[in-house]
Amino acid sequence: MIDRRDPPPVGRVVATEQKPATPHQFHFWTANETSIGIGAIVKVEGAGRGEQGAGRVVYGVVTDGFAYSDLATPLHDVVGAEGDPAKAADSPTVRQEIRLWTAAVLRQRPEEPLQPVPLGQVHVASDVDVAQALRMDTYLGGAQPTAIPVGLYTSGGLEAPVYLDADFLLGPEAAHLNISGVSGLATKTSAVEFLLGSIFQHFPPHKGRVAAVCFNVKGPDLCFLDQPGALEDEDRRRYERLGVRAQPFEGVRYYAPFKADGVNLNTLRTHPDLVGDVEPLVWGLREVLDYAEVLLNRDDIDAKADAFIDFLSDRVVDKEFDDGFGGTHRVVTFADLERLFRSIFDGLELGGGRGDTWRTHHIATIRKVRNRLSNISTRCKGLVTDDGPSNDLPWGRFEDRAVYVVDVANVDPLGQDLVFARVVSKLREHLERRDLGVDAVVVFVDELNKYAPGDGPETYVKKMLLDISERGRYLGLVLFGAEQFRSQVHRRVVGNAGTIVFGRMDSDELATPGYQVLSPATKIKLATLPIGELMLRHPHFTQPIFVRFPRPAVLRGRDGVERFPPAADLPFEDAVVRQLVKLDRRVRPNLVKDVIADRREEDVRRALAHTRQTRPQDAFAHFKKQLGGRVTAAPAAARERVPPLNPISDEPY
Amino acid sequence: MSRSWVEAILAAGVVPASYVPEASVGRTDLEEFTGADPVEDPELRVHSLAGARPLAPAAVGFLDGIEQWRVVGYAGVTPIVRAHVAAAIRLRGADRRPRTIAEAAEELAITRLDHLPAAVRAALAETGVSVVEISAEDAGQPARALPAARIEVQRARATLERRLAERQLSRLGADEWLVVDGVLSDSPTLSAHPRAVGVVKSHGAEYFEGPELERALTLPAVHRTSVFRPKSRGARRAIHSWYLRLWPWEGNDLLYGLLRVEARAHPETVARASAISAWLTTERAPLATPDRRWDRLLYPIHDVETYLRARAPRDLIPHLASRLPRTGS
Repeated sequence: MIDRRDPPPVGRVVATEQKPATPHQFHFWTANETSIGIGAIVKVEGAGRGEQGAGRVVYGVVTDGFAYSDLATPLHDVVGAEGDPAKAADSPTVRQEIRLWTAAVLRQRPEEPLQPVPLGQVHVASDVDVAQALRMDTYLGGAQPTAIPVGLYTSGGLEAPVYLDADFLLGPEAAHLNISGVSGLATKTSAVEFLLGSIFQHFPPHKGRVAAVCFNVKGPDLCFLDQPGALEDEDRRRYERLGVRAQPFEGVRYYAPFKADGVNLNTLRTHPDLVGDVEPLVWGLREVLDYAEVLLNRDDIDAKADAFIDFLSDRVVDKEFDDGFGGTHRVVTFADLERLFRSIFDGLELGGGRGDTWRTHHIATIRKVRNRLSNISTRCKGLVTDDGPSNDLPWGRFEDRAVYVVDVANVDPLGQDLVFARVVSKLREHLERRDLGVDAVVVFVDELNKYAPGDGPETYVKKMLLDISERGRYLGLVLFGAEQFRSQVHRRVVGNAGTIVFGRMDSDELATPGYQVLSPATKIKLATLPIGELMLRHPHFTQPIFVRFPRPAVLRGRDGVERFPPAADLPFEDAVVRQLVKLDRRVRPNLVKDVIADRREEDVRRALAHTRQTRPQDAFAHFKKQLGGRVTAAPAAARERVPPLNPISDEPY
Repeated sequence: MSRSWVEAILAAGVVPASYVPEASVGRTDLEEFTGADPVEDPELRVHSLAGARPLAPAAVGFLDGIEQWRVVGYAGVTPIVRAHVAAAIRLRGADRRPRTIAEAAEELAITRLDHLPAAVRAALAETGVSVVEISAEDAGQPARALPAARIEVQRARATLERRLAERQLSRLGADEWLVVDGVLSDSPTLSAHPRAVGVVKSHGAEYFEGPELERALTLPAVHRTSVFRPKSRGARRAIHSWYLRLWPWEGNDLLYGLLRVEARAHPETVARASAISAWLTTERAPLATPDRRWDRLLYPIHDVETYLRARAPRDLIPHLASRLPRTGS
């Protein structure tokens, strides 16, 4: 995999009093026509015998470039051309020019004593040099290599694979990846898709099992990860060079909530050929109540509301409960909870004089919590079921090298927060107990500046992201975050990312203080970075490195919706049929339609959910049983007419 | 080698010195009236170059040389001078970029051997450095010794330039020219070659007087004088020459932008004088700044000089602090 060609010298280190060589930076010149550019990795060696630094090898990355001629002042050029710019090009001799480059030191061999860079020859780095320069040699070889291909470093016709260290990408030494760049041009999603594929193929066996949970928060971005995308020959060559197979993800599980009708899935992956793979994401009261804090805004957060929610969670839900007014409740669903609330309010109102508290909770607190909880079932109808069982990710049964896509693109922002909070919290719980089914999970979150903004209120989601960023690496819970503007994401979230990736950047963003460490030339390169090229920072790399990655081997979202156009929403009956057929191919649509004709939709949804959850051998029979017998209304018997006791006179007055 | 022979003589008892004479970076010129014979016109006239079609050689070689020297030690009052002379030809082709095609350099020790102790003489002999001797009379008086040494350095440089040029002339292509910084008449080969041109920037030698001198020295910009033949001086060969003004002198001085061009003594030279002059006029750009002589210095010649200086020994370049007393370290 490693090319051991020895490239020819391309330049020579120069040092002056004004621009000396230091242990961390040096300058070198090249021919005017050179393959060297910003981001090129070079090797300095070959200080002649007797010269300072003989035997020392220094690797550096080019951070800036200068060109100038021996022209003392621009006025001399004007004079020489007699004021006519056209004549300037006619001068018989071209002025002497220089290409002078500044490079930042990546590594010195030997590393001690650390000394200024010798004034030696400069070579373009070969594969071996790149591995040395980026300290990849420490994790590329050995008994248990941990290298994950991330892209190709390319310069002057030479290219070398660049690897990340799994111990520093997925923990436990460091973890998390943050990628930023402008929409459409930075190819953030593509980069993450490629890297996930690379991780799945190269995650070292000794580190265990790995999976990914991707939140699809906009459009069809992540809806076709299991479908092959179009690749060009150049992409295939890059895959080969990186040692990564160009193939879509093999194990992808899609989860999407229902639409408000409770039967059609709220996702763009509804093409008949694909929708069968999408599992509904449906949560009931228990699932929501554990994360009720997500639903409370800053004004709501108080000890009283918390205490009441805890009370409901601990003492009420899933238990036989006496409301104190003579009623006994078993609260399992939102509908059960609503009945309890009604009972409490009625009891307090009818109780007269018993005050406005119930079980030490003030009625205002009870009303507030009730409003928030009923609000979520209204705003996120389809995700949250008022009644009936839930359908969730396979907690405890996560599969190795599987991607779990949670499509919340069309869900209300409050619902998105809830999904995000619950999924990540559950991941954390299971990883802490080591019973998730895998040892590490990559959580990919786009639009990070929405979920963890640098300013704004301290939301539950933001607190959770901070918690993952700071402690997730010990658990194997790894955050891959993407955003347009890194400066607008919470500093601790991006600061804890061990690996930082930049695509094409916005110039205004580059002008913010977070980018002061980059040279002007590097910033310009970042602002004009072509699609498919990234700048990379990783704990082993002492300077940012530019790499190119192949197009991900999966169908892009836009192409996916063209090839697999989303199906129109089905009528209620057809949608029910489709779901039952998905569970059991023997199900006959007409029978289903007959059974659900004239039945209340809530009853049908409940029966369907139960069937889905149970996954019985005979889905139709189970469904029918859950639906119960049809209760027909008996016509009221005609009353026998009773004649008046005293006949009324026929006289009209 | 330089370090070794200097170290050797110091070890042999020479008192170290570090002195770079002021004139070591320049070159002297004849300062006398010699006269000239008319060739093109009966008397010196002014010719405009307007409309003249510049000669356009496919490639042009530019020859220049440098000399650097310093006193490195004294044996008694006899100076021992270390000199570096170098010359190069850089060929400019279709891409307009000069490239070195020939170069030569020499290091010399200039002194008076019989004024040196035997140990120092032996040290010099052992190192194999080329020794050039100055006269006994000059060597005895430091005030005369250094000018004498300077003449020897200049002579060595001129010899090196001439040798390099003569060697290169035989390889010159049919459409290639050689432009020499200075006179051609020192060399029989150069002065007879049909495609060699000398460009003289210093005007110590005077060829005219009276109205002709005035016409020569008040030549308008982008004009030339008639072709003339300088009268022979010593061993110098017959040559054709003319003045050429590159830049307007008004507002500066009479010699501003004034060149004297030399080419072989041949009727063809007269026919080509305007074309050669127009060509040299195009060489005004780019300006040879920051050299102080940029008004007369062709950029490619400046380029050769820059090249040679870049390759010259660093320790011959005077440093501002070089004459400060040495510290203990």
